Amino acid sequence: MEECSFTQTQTPSQVRRNLEKRSPEQVDQKVGEVLQYLLVKDQKKLPIKRADIMKSVVKEYKDVYPEIMNRVGRTLQQAECRAAEEGHLSLLTEQVFGLQLEEVDTKNHIYILVNRLQRVEGDNMRVDDNTGKLGLLTVILSLIFMKGNVAKESVIWETLRRLRLDHGEKNSEFGDLKKLVTEEFVRQKYLEYTRIPHTEPVEYEFRWGPRAVKETSKMKILEFVSKIQNKDPQSWVTHYKEAMDEAATPARH
Amino acid sequence: MAEASRRSGGSGRTPSRGSAECSGGEEQEEMPGEDGNSGAEGNEETRRHIRHKYRELISSVQQNREDMLSSRSNRLTEVLEEANKLFGGVSRAREAALDAQFLVLASNLGKEKASQLHSDMIVFDPTAFAEDLLTFMGLNRLEGVESDDEEDGMANGFLPSDAWQRVGIEAEKYFKRAPTFHYMLGSFKMDPPVPKQRLERQKQKPSTEERRAMPAQLKKMEESHQEATEKEVERILGLLQTYFKEDPETPISFFDFVIDPASFARTVENIFHVSFIIRDGFARIKLDQDKLPVIEPAANEGQGTEQENQSRYQGVISLSPEDWKVQDEIIETFEITDPMIPPSPASE
Repeated sequence: MEECSFTQTQTPSQVRRNLEKRSPEQVDQKVGEVLQYLLVKDQKKLPIKRADIMKSVVKEYKDVYPEIMNRVGRTLQQAECRAAEEGHLSLLTEQVFGLQLEEVDTKNHIYILVNRLQRVEGDNMRVDDNTGKLGLLTVILSLIFMKGNVAKESVIWETLRRLRLDHGEKNSEFGDLKKLVTEEFVRQKYLEYTRIPHTEPVEYEFRWGPRAVKETSKMKILEFVSKIQNKDPQSWVTHYKEAMDEAATPARH
Repeated sequence: MAEASRRSGGSGRTPSRGSAECSGGEEQEEMPGEDGNSGAEGNEETRRHIRHKYRELISSVQQNREDMLSSRSNRLTEVLEEANKLFGGVSRAREAALDAQFLVLASNLGKEKASQLHSDMIVFDPTAFAEDLLTFMGLNRLEGVESDDEEDGMANGFLPSDAWQRVGIEAEKYFKRAPTFHYMLGSFKMDPPVPKQRLERQKQKPSTEERRAMPAQLKKMEESHQEATEKEVERILGLLQTYFKEDPETPISFFDFVIDPASFARTVENIFHVSFIIRDGFARIKLDQDKLPVIEPAANEGQGTEQENQSRYQGVISLSPEDWKVQDEIIETFEITDPMIPPSPASE
């Protein structure tokens, strides 16, 4: 479980000693609580702060936090393997979710959940408001990547206007479009929205946020653009090369 | 790139122009010298004109960004040449700053154009991307509902309501997005406590009649009780005042007054009622020479205000049936044969 190492405030031996003070059931219970907390928090796709996990769930189990999070990470991950070797087989420690806990901000310890499983065609996943939003987000991420990993705000709005979305108007599907793009997507860490220095009038530009990096990749987005434009991904030579380079460098966890 | 070199070639002051985008300061240094050559007043008009021209140029560049970036267009070159001509007339820092601002804009555009050249065969064109997306969304170009007055190449046609859903469903394949879980029966908040409600309803039905009757009854009792107390207090005060008037010289013994030799309950009641009289200042209790409590009505009506200034004293009298029985002695001692306060007709 190297991928889900958490910054530890105690040494492993300390944690082990602390763990002996608690009954396995108590720790399992906490693991379950943290799991549920993460899943509920993820409903809105907002990043989860370690401080909040501590404050709201872990509480007095702080001294065994690394162990709890290790188990949470393990529980979230595997879809096929059951933790039968764990001695005490409870429903919670069955590794059933197929999700991965990722730290998107190592300084402030902010986590997100990502899917470890690739989506397949016709998996009958729920289609709701978020589906349309994801479509919009993907278009924006595509524009950013294809424009060289940073896109001026004007380019985004101009393209969206061509797609019948005016950022000054309320939209029946997305509500306040500007708010959705510059606030919600930003809070969810899909986008970064920053002011371009020394511009008069003030201009902003968009970049990919850390969640976008974790949930998708340059290659995936290039594939999306290619599909829409009915082209071979390799026909965008530089973009393709960049996407290959990204895939080749191991992800920084 | 070609534009930039042409531009600097046309200007005699190449070195300072080249760095103009990062600082207007260099040009400012040169300004005072040139400023001396020209008549200040006469130039004001031309300077304003130059500034106006620059602003026009800048806003036109900002508005036509995409057009300028298009590989087919030669607009960037044209705009730069125009600015170069304008710069010929610039003599002061203010105009030069505008020129610098324009140059920032132009070089940004140049940079973007250059990066487009990099992408070799195919240039990513947001406009074409948007067109293809509309097609993907299922745009029906034949059914034009959109107005035709849009001239900037906006595609007309009817966009189905699930257009973005279509894009979203496609997009999901490119994401490792964790599917959010949902409670099958909704979350806690949305779920009303159904069984609890049912229980309440069942309980309520039989109790409605009872409840309706109860408050009325209670209210009546309370009212009558209060009235009775008031009446009784008034009656006793009246008795006290009559006794006092009959013989103002002899003080009335408290025990003589309150004790009913025939009934312990009425004795207690009497003490209770007298306490109101004392509290409201209509009478007072003091000790006579034998240290026995005597009661007399308050001297006059002015007493009320005086009373407020006086500090309040509380006295506790305990009286049990045993005491009262022993009071047989008291009764004998005080020679109480008949109650001074006859029982009120109501209580009988």
